[in-house]
Amino acid sequence: MKNILLVLALAFFIGNYAQTSADDILDNYFENTGGKENWQKLEGIKMIGNVSGQGMEIPIEILQLKDGRQYVKISFQGKEMMQGVYNGKVLWNTNFMTQKAEEMTTEQTENFKMNQVKDFPSPFLNYKENGYQVELLGDETMEGAECYKIKLTQKPVLVDGKEEESVSFYYFDKENYIPIAVEMEIKSGQMKGQMMKSTMSDYDEVGGLYFPFSLTQMGGPLSIEKIELNPEVDAVMFEMPKEEETPPPVEEKK
Amino acid sequence: MQRIILLLVQLLFFVLILTLNAQDQEIVLKGKQLFGSMEARHIGPALMSGRISDLEVHPTNPRIIYAGTAGGGVWKSSNGGTTFTPIFDDYVQSIGVVTLDPNKPDNVIWVGTGETWTRNSTSVGDGLFKSVDGGKNWDKIGFENSDRIAGIEINPNNSNEIYVGVLGALWGDSDERGVYKTIDGGKTWDKILFIDNKTGCSELIMDPNNPNTLYAAFWEFRRTAWSFNSGGYQSALYKTTDAGKTWNKIHNGFPSGKLGRFAFAVAPSNSNRLYAVLETENDKDNGLWRSNDAGANWEHLNNDFGLVVRPFYFSRIVVDPNNQDIVIKGGLNGSISRDGGKTFKSLGNMHSDIHDIAFAINNSDVIYAGTDGGVYSSRDGGGTMEIVENMPVSQFYHVSVDDAEPYNVYGGLQDNGSWYGPNSATGGVKAKHWNPVGYGDGFRVLKHYTKNIIYTEMQGAENVWRYDVDKKRIKTIQPLPEKGDPKLRFNWNAPMELSTHQPNRFYMGSQFLHKSEDMGDTWEKISPDLTTDDKSKQAQEESGGLSQDNSGAENHCTIFTIAESTLDEHVIWTGTDDGQVQVTKNGGKKWKNVTKNLNGLPKNTWCYHIEASVFDKATAYAVFDGHTSNDKNTYAYKTTDYGKTWQSIVTDDIHGFARSLQEDFVNPDLLFLGTEFGLYITVDGGKHWSKFENNMPATAVHYITMQKQTNDIVMGTHGRGVIIIDDVSPLREINQEVLNKNIHFFKTKPTVMKEKGGFASFFGSETQFVGRNPSSAAKIIYYLKKRHTFGKMKMEVFNDKDEKVATLKAGKAKGINIVNWNYRTKRPKVAKGKTFSFGGFTMPRAIAGNYKVVMTKGKETYEVPLELRYEDNGISLADRKEQERITKKLFDMTEDLAYMVYQIDQEIDFSTNLLKKITVEKLKVQKTIDQLNTLKETLVVTTGDNYVGTAEKQLREKLSDLYSKIAGTYEKPSKAEMLNLKAIEYRFNNSKSNYKSIKENDFSKLIKLASKTEVKLIEYKSFEEFIEN
Repeated sequence: MKNILLVLALAFFIGNYAQTSADDILDNYFENTGGKENWQKLEGIKMIGNVSGQGMEIPIEILQLKDGRQYVKISFQGKEMMQGVYNGKVLWNTNFMTQKAEEMTTEQTENFKMNQVKDFPSPFLNYKENGYQVELLGDETMEGAECYKIKLTQKPVLVDGKEEESVSFYYFDKENYIPIAVEMEIKSGQMKGQMMKSTMSDYDEVGGLYFPFSLTQMGGPLSIEKIELNPEVDAVMFEMPKEEETPPPVEEKK
Repeated sequence: MQRIILLLVQLLFFVLILTLNAQDQEIVLKGKQLFGSMEARHIGPALMSGRISDLEVHPTNPRIIYAGTAGGGVWKSSNGGTTFTPIFDDYVQSIGVVTLDPNKPDNVIWVGTGETWTRNSTSVGDGLFKSVDGGKNWDKIGFENSDRIAGIEINPNNSNEIYVGVLGALWGDSDERGVYKTIDGGKTWDKILFIDNKTGCSELIMDPNNPNTLYAAFWEFRRTAWSFNSGGYQSALYKTTDAGKTWNKIHNGFPSGKLGRFAFAVAPSNSNRLYAVLETENDKDNGLWRSNDAGANWEHLNNDFGLVVRPFYFSRIVVDPNNQDIVIKGGLNGSISRDGGKTFKSLGNMHSDIHDIAFAINNSDVIYAGTDGGVYSSRDGGGTMEIVENMPVSQFYHVSVDDAEPYNVYGGLQDNGSWYGPNSATGGVKAKHWNPVGYGDGFRVLKHYTKNIIYTEMQGAENVWRYDVDKKRIKTIQPLPEKGDPKLRFNWNAPMELSTHQPNRFYMGSQFLHKSEDMGDTWEKISPDLTTDDKSKQAQEESGGLSQDNSGAENHCTIFTIAESTLDEHVIWTGTDDGQVQVTKNGGKKWKNVTKNLNGLPKNTWCYHIEASVFDKATAYAVFDGHTSNDKNTYAYKTTDYGKTWQSIVTDDIHGFARSLQEDFVNPDLLFLGTEFGLYITVDGGKHWSKFENNMPATAVHYITMQKQTNDIVMGTHGRGVIIIDDVSPLREINQEVLNKNIHFFKTKPTVMKEKGGFASFFGSETQFVGRNPSSAAKIIYYLKKRHTFGKMKMEVFNDKDEKVATLKAGKAKGINIVNWNYRTKRPKVAKGKTFSFGGFTMPRAIAGNYKVVMTKGKETYEVPLELRYEDNGISLADRKEQERITKKLFDMTEDLAYMVYQIDQEIDFSTNLLKKITVEKLKVQKTIDQLNTLKETLVVTTGDNYVGTAEKQLREKLSDLYSKIAGTYEKPSKAEMLNLKAIEYRFNNSKSNYKSIKENDFSKLIKLASKTEVKLIEYKSFEEFIEN
């Protein structure tokens, strides 16, 4: 009797498992977080929150639009700085020292155009149309939870002049098909080749869609207080500010 | 009848349900589900690195290099060998060969596990692995019993056609040896060349210009715990020209008789040019042979020392891809020839024992070498060699700790001496923090319990040193034979032990147990021969086979582990390499051999470790390692009656043979077991075991110890250096009751706020390994039954006045979560200027006392107390309070100034607006604006940038500099600081009265003016609102 039960249970499990594909998991994910159609309708999101690093809380505003434009605005001592801004043509940052806008490398901009521009609101939403591939690699324990591990392959990017694959791994909690972690390869610098893990939690509903309100990345957590869907935007925000014509007087350095 | 059967079935079903339910209640969490965010940290060292077994270069991208290691997995460099990153942490760390698919070299990597340099301490493999994504994920392809894989060759025209050369088992007979071939990418394999169960394929090379031609070297070899044999009549060099259908020996010119291990290479630039290095019966025939006709004929060229030394350890010969006459042979120093093998000279100075060499693909001046001490690279054709400094693949045999603050870690390494270094250091643990304390191969290193004296040894106890650290004085103190003594047999890795009862007592084990009460000056044998004294296992001078190899590595019938009970100094345990466990209850007067009571343990299985329990003197644990008898099972036993009876504490959860065990000293059910494939932990006395995999590679754990003050588990791994799990005390509380709770907060000790600091040096850290420090933060540790994914979860810290002082990032993983608070409170709100006031980023340290951590998870709220204490370092409480008072004062002044500047900014805006709207009294408005601006310019910086374009400091900068200076110390502010404060206060007060005067005399008039216009009056935020936002 016990054996029969076990066999039945096993058969059910295997049957279930065999049918699960990456697409099933993604469909479930979109279904459970508001429905594909509603995700498709989304034109932009604005997130307001804090990045904290041990006591230091830095106010942050992230804006992403369907057309690829985006910015991250952080505030320090009442000064606002723009990071990772894309105006549809180039990526730029505010330099911390001079507080002036500086363009990122052509390679960085081209890589951004290759993939991230299409990733709104999720790289999985229209992955086939965008030429990405997904693959279910199997099960893995992540954050202590049983997860499906899905590999996402995007268009290759250039790293210091050499073409490299663009791959990331998403962990979908088996219980609810929600991604709770993602791993990406660090592409350059001293940590090149190591994986960077981000985790997502505190999912909540905004306008019928579910978003994670808490993200961590290499120990630096981002907590989101407010998410605004389809925000009104001022196109000027994305443009590189022009340098002042007359530089401010600089007092003699002592 | 049928009804009865039905009833029985029903009953059975009922019982089944009951048992299922009962099982449901027991929560067994394994691995990552239990350990959650508890993580191991690695402190290296990497300065001497460790043994490299194989190098592989990318065929088209010179930036990419792979290194397979003897015990530290596979490492990848993407920067031409400047630094390497581990990419194989979850699998067996002993590597035989790494091969890239020539058709997809960016993605497809094959790894054959099991080192092929078959020294006594070599580990074992676990089969063939493949990655299709450049090493991010791996699949096991098979060959589970291969033990060690020597070669993988892939047809450059067809990635599905792959040949694998299996060297096979080192310690016993095995049929899984020879050459295998797949034509379906690894789904099915044919064994296409097999000799016998003692002879394996030690080298497999495909002709780079013809994938149907392959060469396979076969080697007859065997190791036992007490001897080694290289050579036999079956060793041979084979060639196929039909893709493996037929194989022929190509020995034309080679001597007949027994042969040993071959090194073999084909010149990539000329397929007819072959090099082979032979181990033969006659010295004159040993060394380098060359063929100019693809193996049809051979001529002998050279038998220099560099070519013939230790073939079992050095049998790799590599030809420059661009020049058939430049060849390098691995060896003690590595030898290079530039005349086709006629003459050789040594490579440039580097660590000895060179196992593999690789030329950069398009610049033969760039050469990589894999040694017993890491990867080296040359940019001048091998003239000078430079070590890669970030590969902590060091191979510890043993590890111990002291009780210093921070505590030091001591241990000895394969071919890399003995060392000690701190477990933490300002800026991280670097190469410079490690101190050498021995030569040769290092093994056990023990610190005297009360004196600044270190005991350390080299192989076979040839030297045992007593090192007086303060006087820098070294004395050798190994036990010496006295009149009537037989030859003393010490293991390669000879045991030494201290006594917790008598700090000057020092034990050493040969076949006898030796005891000294005066730190090694006088020795007494306190046992008879405790081994089997089997003479057939003591003929080490005959070891080696064709090339004698009596290094001491095969010494046998020796004591290997000694344990004196911490509860009774007369209770001493010994375990021997020939499987004998003996115990005395009277300090050695009488010994009892309790080996026969170990049920299920094969005879003569090496006793690797005995752990005398700290809870009961009759209780001990014994760990046995059978791999030198080709037995890879796990053996760990517990006795509670001095060895009369033993219970196995091993379950199917454990993979790999075990070498070490550590008992917790608070909870007797918490045990740590080190196996060849990683660390296992039980919280229930061995009923269930969990593999610890959080930043813990599957490396061989040769020894585990526990540091008493910190509750840290410290592991000496044989391939990844020293690995530490900080404070495992939460594991003591894990039981069924805890696991069934939704949330459980673990008890934590009050946190002493760390004040020691010092200057960190970052020089060299771009390319050097830096060991991670433990966190000195206050910790909130809790167990979550389920991962938190939906809804808010936050964690805040409140002081005893219920004021919120910090917000923390709550851990959300299922299992154990550790949240750190660096006891910093929020930073002040700083006045807005043109640039940053860096001092204003300082966060005041929390005041010592009691705090409350509040965790909100959905609708539930949990509270847990937390206590902070000052470091006891001579700073008086009154001084600390004064520092805190002044810090607070400066903090408040900083925020007062910020509010004042905020108001001024509002007023300037307002006035500027007003100016645009009015036609009369413009001058008055302009004057007020000018007054406000002039005042502001003395309050904050309004020009310049954050680097060298900085403007002259104003009140904000002066104030925040002093604030930061005082908040950053722990002592009472100095006289100079107080005088500086006075000056700043004076300036601030002047500014305030100046501002008041402008506001009352001038600005108030503008408000009246504005009432006649549409300009909106200022709605000031209150101070509190301003600070909050």
